[in-house]
Amino acid sequence: MNAPGPCPRRLLCVALAAALLVVVLPGRAAAIPAFARKYQTSCQTCHIVFPKLNAFGEAFRLRGYHMPAETEEMVKQKPVSLGAPAYKRLWPKAVWPGELPGNVPLAVNIKFADVNTSTLNEDGTVTKVWSDFQFPQEANIFGGGTLGEHLSFFSEMTFGENPDGSVSVELEHARFDFDSPFGPEDAFHLRIGKMAPNVADGFQEMWISTDAAIDSVFSYNPIGVNGGTGLAEDVTPAPISLPASVRGIEAYGIIRHRAMWVGGVVNGISPGPNGQFDGNNAKDLYARFDYKLGGMGLDGYLGDKAPPAENWRDNSLRVGALVYRGDGSNINFASADPLGNPLNIQDLHFLRYGLYASLFVQDLNVFGAFIHGTDQLQSLDPVTAETLGLTQPTYRSWFVQADYVFYPWLQGTWRYETLTPGDPAVQSLRVGVWNASMLIRANVKAMIEYQRDLREGRNHSLNGLVRFAF
Amino acid sequence: MMRRMMWGVVFGIAVAATMAASAPPQAGGSITGTVKVAGQTNNADVVVYVEHATGAFKPPAAPAVMDQKNMKFVPHVLPVLAGTTVKFTNSDTVAHNVFSPDHEKYNLGTFGTGLSKDHTFAKCPKFPCVYVQLCMIHPEMEGFIVVVENPYVATTNDAGQFTIQGVPPGQYQVAVWQAKGKAQPKLVTVEAGKPATVDFTVGK
Repeated sequence: MNAPGPCPRRLLCVALAAALLVVVLPGRAAAIPAFARKYQTSCQTCHIVFPKLNAFGEAFRLRGYHMPAETEEMVKQKPVSLGAPAYKRLWPKAVWPGELPGNVPLAVNIKFADVNTSTLNEDGTVTKVWSDFQFPQEANIFGGGTLGEHLSFFSEMTFGENPDGSVSVELEHARFDFDSPFGPEDAFHLRIGKMAPNVADGFQEMWISTDAAIDSVFSYNPIGVNGGTGLAEDVTPAPISLPASVRGIEAYGIIRHRAMWVGGVVNGISPGPNGQFDGNNAKDLYARFDYKLGGMGLDGYLGDKAPPAENWRDNSLRVGALVYRGDGSNINFASADPLGNPLNIQDLHFLRYGLYASLFVQDLNVFGAFIHGTDQLQSLDPVTAETLGLTQPTYRSWFVQADYVFYPWLQGTWRYETLTPGDPAVQSLRVGVWNASMLIRANVKAMIEYQRDLREGRNHSLNGLVRFAF
Repeated sequence: MMRRMMWGVVFGIAVAATMAASAPPQAGGSITGTVKVAGQTNNADVVVYVEHATGAFKPPAAPAVMDQKNMKFVPHVLPVLAGTTVKFTNSDTVAHNVFSPDHEKYNLGTFGTGLSKDHTFAKCPKFPCVYVQLCMIHPEMEGFIVVVENPYVATTNDAGQFTIQGVPPGQYQVAVWQAKGKAQPKLVTVEAGKPATVDFTVGK
């Protein structure tokens, strides 16, 4: 099935339209005032410009929402005891003692957006949207906290208001963690649920400062007769470039303050044909290894060093390597050959390799990732299921982002991302993002963001956003 | 003259006997100080005690009392001399149970408002003996009885202050017990009529 691909220009238009569509779709956030209430501390203890985490916030996240060297004195909202600690000695004749958060650990984020877009359509016309007040665009309800020493949880439900008045609801995260249940502290954590996997977390959403997601890495559709042609948001079942969210089990840990390991087993392509979440009976696997040189340890360890007074500074270099192996056998994607004849495509096996780096130098943070993907695509006759062809396209995407803190309340961001799809006939995608984020208060943020298709100037957006958390 | 002398001797003996009865044993001093529990704002409920003291010490005739009130053991920490009987009372409007998994282990059963149960702490193999007090009906309830070998013991207030009264003059190892932390014992010299000061920091 190596027939010539369709018009690259047309596909590019479709791809870019999809890319700009993402701009107005609900984004991701993770500012959890429930933690601020628990510790009676400012958002800036953990965030630079929320949701971007500083080194302390990253340690807090990785440690299962316990502060480094946490003492009872730090916890201002005393938890409710569900059993005296002495009951540990009585187990299994008694329930192991636990705790409830002192207050309901919920928090709300609300986002307003003033959307301005210009999109080049397939027929050559341009659709322009000027100042569409999406007030509000979305609201997120977060739940996050601890249930005693070794258990923590995190959940996020997002409500989006649609132009027709309908509301979309998505359970973006719902996860339960076992934190250091045995062995050295932080050497082993286990999470179960729907989560942003640590295979990509860190550069996927916890650290991004922009409203625009990194679509070239997370929203690429690798399915196509000759390989993937661009971005996709609404393909069902959802193909995988690198998953932004998974359902499964993940283990990770921190070794000697500096190294992080991650391993996970997850559902993969979903949904399945019979109402199940997994598209087939095969699981996807992933792994990651990071090492951090300089700065605060990944678990918040500082040794004899005093932390800098500027909470965003963490002179350090963190590098990582990741791999994701998926199995999409027996999952059909409806497609068509170049002549328009229908066929099914299965992504029998796919591999994603990636490298990640983040450099902090004073007020500057430069970070990025490179992803190389291989897909084994089998084309099938939709009636007879006869194999029509087998291709093994590869794609690559990468991005680099620079965040600079001008003032504690003002951060500038520039990002360049590119995607070279699997179909060799399709031009690569190049997108630039410029963003200025201002903290009006520690929990109120205003942003101006410009996103531009660097190959086609008629595809661009300029949005003003306000997000507040309480 | 003889009669006056005899009255004088009798009076002198009577005064001496009265002083002996009212004064602390062996005209003792006191040990005072402050305990800071690292990582906690409240420094109460730390037991400060003299590790070893010479003499035979009789437990008090009247029982010590640990109440259950507002679904808490009150006091939260109760130090007692070995052999003391503790009366566990229930001032709540709900039934409580008292048991301890420590040392000889006991379960005093469940009892309602206004009732009480006794237990005598006379089987401590090595001082101090700590008995956690639990209520099976309300698992969050927790109290501690700390059995010591002599009466020279005190518990800290919220500020961490303590005073051990009536300690005979001499040199002692003073130690602390706290539910979640530890501190090294310290050597203290007590002089008659004078307070000796010692401070502790309890860490993990």
